[in-house]
Amino acid sequence: MKYALLIYENESLYGSDKNNPALQEIVAKHMSFSQDLGPKRVGGAGLAGTHLATTVRSANGSKTVHDGPFAETKEQLGGFYLVEAADLDEALEIAKRVPLQPGGAIEVRPLLGG
Amino acid sequence: MTNTLDSAFRSASARIVGALAARYRDLDLAEEAFAEACARAAEAWKSTAPERPDGWLYAVAQRCALDLLRKRAVRERQGAEMEAECSMDEEPTFIPDERLRLIFVCCHPAIAPDARAALTLRTVCGLGTAEIAHAFLTNETALAQRLVRAKRKIAEAGVPFEIPGPNLWSERLDAVLSTLEVAYSKAHEDAAGAGPHAAYAAEMLNLSQMLAELLPDEADVLAFAALVRFCEARRPARVDAQGCMIPLAEQDPAQWNRALIREGDSLLKRGFALQPSSARLLQAGIHAAWCRRRSLDEPPPWPKVLALYDSLVAISDNPITRLNRIVTLAEVRGYDRALEELENLRAASLEDFLPFRAVRADLLRRAGRAAEARIDYDAALALRPAPAEKAWLARRRSQIQ
Repeated sequence: MKYALLIYENESLYGSDKNNPALQEIVAKHMSFSQDLGPKRVGGAGLAGTHLATTVRSANGSKTVHDGPFAETKEQLGGFYLVEAADLDEALEIAKRVPLQPGGAIEVRPLLGG
Repeated sequence: MTNTLDSAFRSASARIVGALAARYRDLDLAEEAFAEACARAAEAWKSTAPERPDGWLYAVAQRCALDLLRKRAVRERQGAEMEAECSMDEEPTFIPDERLRLIFVCCHPAIAPDARAALTLRTVCGLGTAEIAHAFLTNETALAQRLVRAKRKIAEAGVPFEIPGPNLWSERLDAVLSTLEVAYSKAHEDAAGAGPHAAYAAEMLNLSQMLAELLPDEADVLAFAALVRFCEARRPARVDAQGCMIPLAEQDPAQWNRALIREGDSLLKRGFALQPSSARLLQAGIHAAWCRRRSLDEPPPWPKVLALYDSLVAISDNPITRLNRIVTLAEVRGYDRALEELENLRAASLEDFLPFRAVRADLLRRAGRAAEARIDYDAALALRPAPAEKAWLARRRSQIQ
C-alpha cells in the first residue's frame, strides 16, 4: 500500500531565511532520511512557508483566489513523503523515523486506490 | 434449543471470525459470513445439531465468505470467477486459532479508543451490538456507527492482521491491556452488579483468561487476569441488602469467591516469577493482599497495602494512584496526615473527579470538619455516582453530626 506522511510543524521555528541554521539542519536530516528509505520512498517534497501560500476557493459556483494558507493553525503542513509500506504498522514505523521538531506531528494517510 | 444455539454461536464466534478475518484480512466480511452461517444453522439444526457445531459453522462460514467475495467482485466488475481456496464439500476439522491476532487488530492504537473495547467484545466475545450498547450506556445506532467506522479503518487504512513484532510488542500489548482495563473498570464501577455492566463483567473473566492462555509468559497479561478475578471474587459482598455500597474494609470476606481468589493468586505468582516489578502486578498485588483476609475479625491489611502503594507510586506516579495511597495512609498514619497530602494533590485539578471528592468528604467527616465534609459530599453526589455508591455517600452524609 502507498501512504502519505504529512508533516505538520510550527514553521516560525525555521524563519523565512533560507540560510536559517534550524532549516538547514532539518533539511540535512531529511536528505539522509530519504536516502535510508531507499526504494520505499515513492515521492515527497518540502514546502516553502505559508507566507508564500495562495489559496483557491470554490464557492457559489465560482473560484476565488486568496492570499495565505487554507487554514490558520498553530502547526502548518511543511512537507510530505509518499512511501510504499506493507501495512499501516510499517507506515507508522517509517513515520516515527521522520525528522520532526518537538511539538510537531506526522499524519499518516493511505492513498486512495494505493 | 435456542440456548444451545446461542452458546454454540458465541463460543465459536471468536475462533471462526478470527480465522476468517486473518485469512481474508477483512473483519466485516468475516462477521457477515459468520452471521450468515449462524442463520443457516438455526434452520439446518432444527431437528438435530451436528456432532461438531463449530466445525460445521466454520465450513459454512467459509463458503459464505467466498460467496460474498464473489458478489463483491461482480459488483466491482472484476470478473465473476473467484478461485475457491478450499473444497466446497469437505468439512474442515481444524479451525486455526487466530484470536490473538484478532485482539491485536481490535485494540490497534490507530482505532478510536472508544471503539476498541466495543469491537473486541463484538468480534472476540461475540456480544451483540445491543448488549454492548447497553453496557456502555450508549444507543445502539451510535455504537453500530462507531463499529462500522472502526472496521472501515481497519480494512482501508491497512491495519495489519498480524501479531506485532518485537519492536512494537510492548507498545501494542500495552494498548490491548489498557483497552481491556478501561472496559473492565466500567463493569467494576457498578458495585451492585445488577446494572447493565453485570453481564460483560463475566465476559471480561473469559477474555482475560483467553489472553492469559494465549500469552502465558507476559507478566502484565497475567496481572490483568488476576486483577479481574480478585475484583469479581468480591462482587457478592460489595452491596448491602438496601443496595448500598460497602467499602472494602467493611466487606465480609466470608462472602468472597475463594475459587476465583485462588485462580488470581496462582496467576499473580506466575506473573511475579516472570517480572518482579511491574505496575500492573503491584496493582493486582494490592487486591491480592485484601483477598487474603479471611474474616472481619482479622485486622484489615492496611500497612501491607500502604507498602505496596509506596512501591507503586515509585514506578508509576499518577494522581489516581496517589489518591488510593492517601486512603490507605489515613488508616495507617491518621486523617490529618492524609488530608495534608490530599491538599498537595489539589494542584492536579481533581475537583470534578468523583473518587477525589468522595475520599476528601470521608476524611473531613472523620476528622470532625463537618461543614467542609458536607460540601464535598454534595459535590460527589452531583458527579453522578453509580446507584450503590450514591446510596453510600448519602448515608455517610446523613451521619455527619
